[in-house]
Amino acid sequence: MIEKTPSSKRPIWTGSLTIGLVNLPLKLFPMIYNKAISFRFLHKIDGHPLKYQKVCTKDDKVVPWDEVAKGYEVSKNMYVMLEPKELEAIKPESNKKIRIAKFVDYLSVDPIYYNKSYILMPDNSKEAYSLLLTSLQKKGKAAVGKITLRTKEYPVLVHAYKGALVLTTIRYSYDVANPQEFKELKTLEKPEKTQLEIANKIIQDLSDEFEINEFEDQYKKKAEQLIQQKLKGQTIKVEEPQKEEAKELMVALRETLKQLQNK
Amino acid sequence: MSEELTKVRFTNLNKIIFPQEKITKKQLIKYYIKIAPKILPILKNRALVLNRFPNGINKNGFYEKNAAKGTPVWVKTTKITSKTGKTKTNYIICNDLDTLIWIANLASIEMHMPLSTIDKLEKPDFIFFDIDPEPPATIKEASTVSLLLRDKLKKIGFKSYIKTSGKKGLHILIPIKPNKSFKLARKFVHKIGIELSKENHKIVSELSETKKPGKIFVDYLQNAQGRTIASPYSLRANPKAVVSTPLEWSEIQKGIKPSQFNINTVIKREKTPWKNILNNKQEF
Repeated sequence: MIEKTPSSKRPIWTGSLTIGLVNLPLKLFPMIYNKAISFRFLHKIDGHPLKYQKVCTKDDKVVPWDEVAKGYEVSKNMYVMLEPKELEAIKPESNKKIRIAKFVDYLSVDPIYYNKSYILMPDNSKEAYSLLLTSLQKKGKAAVGKITLRTKEYPVLVHAYKGALVLTTIRYSYDVANPQEFKELKTLEKPEKTQLEIANKIIQDLSDEFEINEFEDQYKKKAEQLIQQKLKGQTIKVEEPQKEEAKELMVALRETLKQLQNK
Repeated sequence: MSEELTKVRFTNLNKIIFPQEKITKKQLIKYYIKIAPKILPILKNRALVLNRFPNGINKNGFYEKNAAKGTPVWVKTTKITSKTGKTKTNYIICNDLDTLIWIANLASIEMHMPLSTIDKLEKPDFIFFDIDPEPPATIKEASTVSLLLRDKLKKIGFKSYIKTSGKKGLHILIPIKPNKSFKLARKFVHKIGIELSKENHKIVSELSETKKPGKIFVDYLQNAQGRTIASPYSLRANPKAVVSTPLEWSEIQKGIKPSQFNINTVIKREKTPWKNILNNKQEF
């Protein structure tokens, strides 16, 4: 199976973190993989992969890249066309800096806002790196600031994770819906005290540590097995799963299979 | 792949097959799954005839000899040309659990098997006596006749095995080495019947006499190529889902009721009276 894993040798960004007058040179490495299984579309007839082409909605003809421009839909079927030069002019400047504005309690930022995380490594700055890491760890704080990656500016948190500094980009508020806009929430009743106590008891009893390794991607596992079987030339017959009502028969089957094996 | 216990895709599991006892197809399949270790060795390499009741026993069933369209490729079949040479039939062979389950899933209640296997179709490996009581004669009289028959066979050196037919009669079988003809087997059974009828006036040996009330017919006619009998451990299409059940002779001596051996009780039986039947093929 081909898996894309980020090389730890090539940072995707180098720059520095600035707090006031202090500068901490850093390298940025990817942290989040996308190892879920993905497929390509193939041409059924000859097995070749398919590619996408840009086709004009007017005449269904393929449009070459030099005839492609960007547009913004201001109302239905009404576009404002924007020149590359115009867009270039308003791009944020990539100044190779993570500007820290303030420190907050790390746990006070709701995970809803987390977007994507990157690992920060010291760039000839081990001492300062260690100092920032240790103090964030001890205080349970995170630095809040901004970074410009490629052509976009993101709010970021810099925080400690497993003995490293990690940078997590934060979503803008316009990308997160406010659940209070649902009217169902306006008519919620307060729970009764006795029921609340029961609920508390249940939660207490089922309380445990979060353990990510308890979860396994079954679909990925099965898809990989399927691919291995196909590679070995085995033919796979697609079949409907047994229904829930056949459960009892499965129990009987297991017993019988065991008996037949013991013979 | 998820664990696949069987190649069979179950269908219509909740369909009622035996309305009086509210027995569903699921229970029918479950019975055959549970009885598999006992029934499979006997069915092995025999061209089966199925008696199917897709809509339950109160609706018409049908006998199926020819493997139906849509029979999966993994189900073993064998083509047999009829004696007249006119018709070819593609029979189902049930040599494994998946096939047995697949058959059960067809709402096939009864399994009928020939007295010879596909490698020696014209040489029987069982001699078969059908003890058929005509009312008011019952299983009790059939049992008495069966015991007389057992003793007679013992005297001439044969060990015999008994099962209920699952209906009103009893079946007695002698496993033999498949090197004699059906004709000889049939003659032998007929001759024994005649001898018994001379010793006991209730016993008849000829088809023409079977409808006389209270008589017990020792039927020899199934000893022929292509004829079939209800296989041991086959369910029967009667309201109480009775099973054609192999018994010990001591059970016959004590007295039995056929309906006590049914879909629910037979799988719980610890006795395996026919355990060695296939290892005891006698020279005929």
